[in-house]
Amino acid sequence: MTTHSIVRTSALEKRFGGIVATQDVDLDIPEGELRCIIGPNGAGKSTLFALLCGIHAPDSGNIFLKDRDITALPSFRRVRLGLGLTFQTNRAFHELTVRQNLEAPFRLPQGGRSSTSEKRYQYALSTFGLDMTSDVPARELPHHRLQWLEIAMVLAGGPDVLLLDEPTAGLSPEETLQTARVLRHLNDDGLTIIVVEHDIAFVREVAERVTVLHQGAIFAEGTVADITAHDDVRRIYLGQA
Amino acid sequence: MKYLALLTGPEDIGQSRLFWAVFVLLVVNFLAGPLWMSEFEASNVSYYLLNLPMALGLCLLWGYCGVLSFGQVAYFGIAGYLYGIIAGNMRGDPWGPLLGEVGGLAACAVVSAIFGYFMFYARVQRWIVPILTLVLALLLETFLGQTAGYQWRVGSVQLGGYNGMTGIPWFQLGDLTFFGYSFYYYVVLVVLVSYLGCRALVNSHHGKVMLAMREDPLRTELLGYDIRARQLAVFVIAGVLAGLSGLLYVQWGNYITPSQLGLVQAALPVIWVAVGGRSKLLAVAISAYALNWITYSLSSAGNQYALVIIGGLLVAVMLFFPDGIVVTLARNMNRQALARLFRRG
Repeated sequence: MTTHSIVRTSALEKRFGGIVATQDVDLDIPEGELRCIIGPNGAGKSTLFALLCGIHAPDSGNIFLKDRDITALPSFRRVRLGLGLTFQTNRAFHELTVRQNLEAPFRLPQGGRSSTSEKRYQYALSTFGLDMTSDVPARELPHHRLQWLEIAMVLAGGPDVLLLDEPTAGLSPEETLQTARVLRHLNDDGLTIIVVEHDIAFVREVAERVTVLHQGAIFAEGTVADITAHDDVRRIYLGQA
Repeated sequence: MKYLALLTGPEDIGQSRLFWAVFVLLVVNFLAGPLWMSEFEASNVSYYLLNLPMALGLCLLWGYCGVLSFGQVAYFGIAGYLYGIIAGNMRGDPWGPLLGEVGGLAACAVVSAIFGYFMFYARVQRWIVPILTLVLALLLETFLGQTAGYQWRVGSVQLGGYNGMTGIPWFQLGDLTFFGYSFYYYVVLVVLVSYLGCRALVNSHHGKVMLAMREDPLRTELLGYDIRARQLAVFVIAGVLAGLSGLLYVQWGNYITPSQLGLVQAALPVIWVAVGGRSKLLAVAISAYALNWITYSLSSAGNQYALVIIGGLLVAVMLFFPDGIVVTLARNMNRQALARLFRRG
């Protein structure tokens, strides 16, 4: 696996009024890695994703995607450059059908996804059991399928980097395991994945490296074994002395 | 086949062969109208039809894109007045009306593009949009209402204040002047092309993005779309379609007054679209035709309460058929009888 950086931030800072959401965040994600970002509530995980995707503009610092400074680019341009995001609260199009959801993502004028992206998309569809011709409204799907639909929808856009904000929220252990399997497979296929997650079992299942955020800053970084053995991490996040 | 798929796609009511057979029969019925309609009746039918482009444009904007404009009549008026000014000043020139038509539609495109640019690129959303669009229509109405003096003329054409602009020329292409039956055919053609064009648009990939924008603009932007540009494009199309209705109106009646841009007229397109069901073009086309027929019939019979009845209908529909009458009927239609007509067969 190459260690070339695909997503990088430099001294990223964002404040909302007097509240510091992220400060001095230097994140470096090598291409092809599956990175989990963990931290207690309010640690700045979702804000970091919002900054990466351009939903919020940072007060200072820079964001790089494939060595290109994307700090000033609007969201849709970042997506076209290869970012894909699922939200913490499911934001598949609930009033549209499954087919309409999967047809919505941006397609390049020259005809859509690369063969690699197409393979990943088709794999996700088949493993998640989603029928791309289904005229069933998304709102009628059970919660886990809605979560999977949003992931498949983002994969339909052919991203190089997949950002998932708590993809297993509300899923049963079996569904969580299935999600982990799919993400591991996609990552083995070369897709870079960054996951914000609370479920430590899931993190153990999928992550190569883990970044711990605390009070908006990077508190620790390392392998799953390093992080779970880290006394201060256990204290602030895992609630253990 | 690719272009046919745009017409028969799933984003409007009716995909089956039976549906298209009935559709073709309906078109043939309209085309054969002069065989059984007097010129007066054909003129009335032209009136019921001429507002359809404006209704279809609002359906695209509101029903498919989620952006409610309460001021489509502004573009109706801009096109109507500009046609009157250009064609009126070129009276005697056989191509003057065509130039007036092009000028009117171009003005609608430019004004809606400028207005929409500031609105969508400033990220104005939700309930502020209908207020802003209504304000534009009311501003134009107020301005035109005070143009009563002789000094308010453009070339030889008087704007006329609240008395309106009168004597607007018929539509003409060279030596062919459109009035009576020929105007009727012209309206039928314009409405048919408008409907099929809108249908092709909603079944294209852009149409699917419109639906996504309606549901969740941020999610759509994070699928790679510049939603500001997409909303602006639909806003301009809707403005031009409203302008098309304005042109047909002044060519039908040869006059226009500022009240055509007023609050009551501004509300009517919203009612036509809401009553039929804003999420489907065909529902809106049926509703706009039927409501124009009802309003015209009530008004010409001397009924003073035509607008009250139409308003009451809107309230009833909002209470009992929030998705619109035609859309609800199409959704719940008995499968044994008419379902094949409206569903994939």
